[in-house]
Amino acid sequence: MIDILAVPLFLVIVLVMVHAYFGLGILKRKIIFADLAIAQFAALGSAISLGFFHEEYLYELTLLFALLSALLIGIATRRDIALEPFIGMLYVFGASGIMMVLANSPEGMEHFKSLLAADILFTLEEDAIQSTLIYAAIGLVMWQLYPRLQGFFKELLFLSMLALTVTSSVQLAGVLVVFVLLVGPALTATVQKRWPKLLFAYLYGWSFSIVAILLSYYYDMPTGYFIVFTGALLTLLSVLLLSNKKVSL
Amino acid sequence: MRILLLLTLLTFSLMAKIDIAVSYPYIGALVEAVGQDRVNVSVLAKGNWDPHFVVPRPSLISKVRNADALIINGAQLEIGWVPPLIKRAGNRKLSQGAFLDLSTKIRLIDGAHDVSRSGGDVHPDGNPHFHLDPHNIPLLASAIASFLSKLDAEGKGYYDSNLQTFDIAWKKDLEKWDEQMADAKGREVVQYHTVFNYFLQAYGIDSIGTIEPLPGVAPSSRHSMHLIDMMKKEKPCCILHDVYHPTKTAEFIAKKSGIRLVIVPHDIGALNDIESLEALFTYLVEAATDD
Repeated sequence: MIDILAVPLFLVIVLVMVHAYFGLGILKRKIIFADLAIAQFAALGSAISLGFFHEEYLYELTLLFALLSALLIGIATRRDIALEPFIGMLYVFGASGIMMVLANSPEGMEHFKSLLAADILFTLEEDAIQSTLIYAAIGLVMWQLYPRLQGFFKELLFLSMLALTVTSSVQLAGVLVVFVLLVGPALTATVQKRWPKLLFAYLYGWSFSIVAILLSYYYDMPTGYFIVFTGALLTLLSVLLLSNKKVSL
Repeated sequence: MRILLLLTLLTFSLMAKIDIAVSYPYIGALVEAVGQDRVNVSVLAKGNWDPHFVVPRPSLISKVRNADALIINGAQLEIGWVPPLIKRAGNRKLSQGAFLDLSTKIRLIDGAHDVSRSGGDVHPDGNPHFHLDPHNIPLLASAIASFLSKLDAEGKGYYDSNLQTFDIAWKKDLEKWDEQMADAKGREVVQYHTVFNYFLQAYGIDSIGTIEPLPGVAPSSRHSMHLIDMMKKEKPCCILHDVYHPTKTAEFIAKKSGIRLVIVPHDIGALNDIESLEALFTYLVEAATDD
């Protein structure tokens, strides 16, 4: 049993660390759905590779589109507009774009879906290690380079690194798991007052995702969805219980 | 003491069944028919699921890992889920010959001849839904029997005689179905996806259109309109629809064209009362001959 679960367990520990950090960042910037928009654009890049280039340049196009969406969000943050609706538009544009690109592709959606059918349970050791190295590099950049930048380029670096993270993690764990790891720990951490935010987010994220993986084995449930279900349920409850009443004006 | 020994031996001999993991229920039924008491079958996908996609659960990995052998449909039908499963399961036996791809034993139809596949075909090797031609079933059963005999040489006689019994019973069913289907020759049908092509071709039924414009591509409005016009002219007998795609478009097309919509199973368990291969084909035959 343990060797079936070793890779997913290792992977969620790493994923929680990198996502909780970015989660706090996107909560602060109020761009919670940025990751979904980026993931959708990344998928659009994959679809273009599949639809027009016979799956060549898959990685390059996926990354290029993820970075493009990061750039668009970065520009939008400099404008006097409501960000969430803009990000929502990016999301639906990406999602419908995939349909347009693949509508006339003979290989069609089936192949596309199987390409993106990511599940944390099926992740191979090599891929987990490779992604960990990418996250380590991202961590290094955020630790060393990020504090030295100013203004627009600082924001752009944050969003580009987020894009890189999301592109890699969506391929490993799927879009829903990435969303719950990004937002769940960060949201609960900002609501509680007793612990340092990042530390709390790590402990919280690790607890629910590890428990969810073990339970999914025990009850034989789809592992990825079970992580999402557990994380979302716990976060909804704890945020409602821990948060303060709104001060009425 | 002797009784205890006997009991241990008995449990041991019961335990000594070979564990066969199979991708789809129809393969499971064939392995059980041929292997009976000498095999344990675990089926990975459920019959009412879309065979192209399977939700990964931890037990799937355990099943593949603990199996003595794996039998799949092949022809890329499982491309989205079996290869990662095999990789994760890390079962050495599978790479040492305890693996059977049934599609290698069948002549596939609808093969793509040009690489660009502009005509539209998800599966470059050909249509992978070959088990829906009842004439292919004995070929598959015999391939499974020789595979089992290779794994478990002691059981060869047992497998051969089970195969013979199965073949005789199947032949009887087949004659009945062939007779019932004789009248259906030349009929025309519309499908959602080309799942039933083997069945249709076996009985000379023409599949004059599919609701999806290209395999794996969701229905579009213009294609649906063309289809409705064409169906009004051609008057096919019915729309054969699988259980795992949404029937909304098909219902619309059925209503506009006045052609009957029939939901038909593609595997054991696809509909509640389809519990065996015989029931599957009996249902298909009735659906295709019913007016």
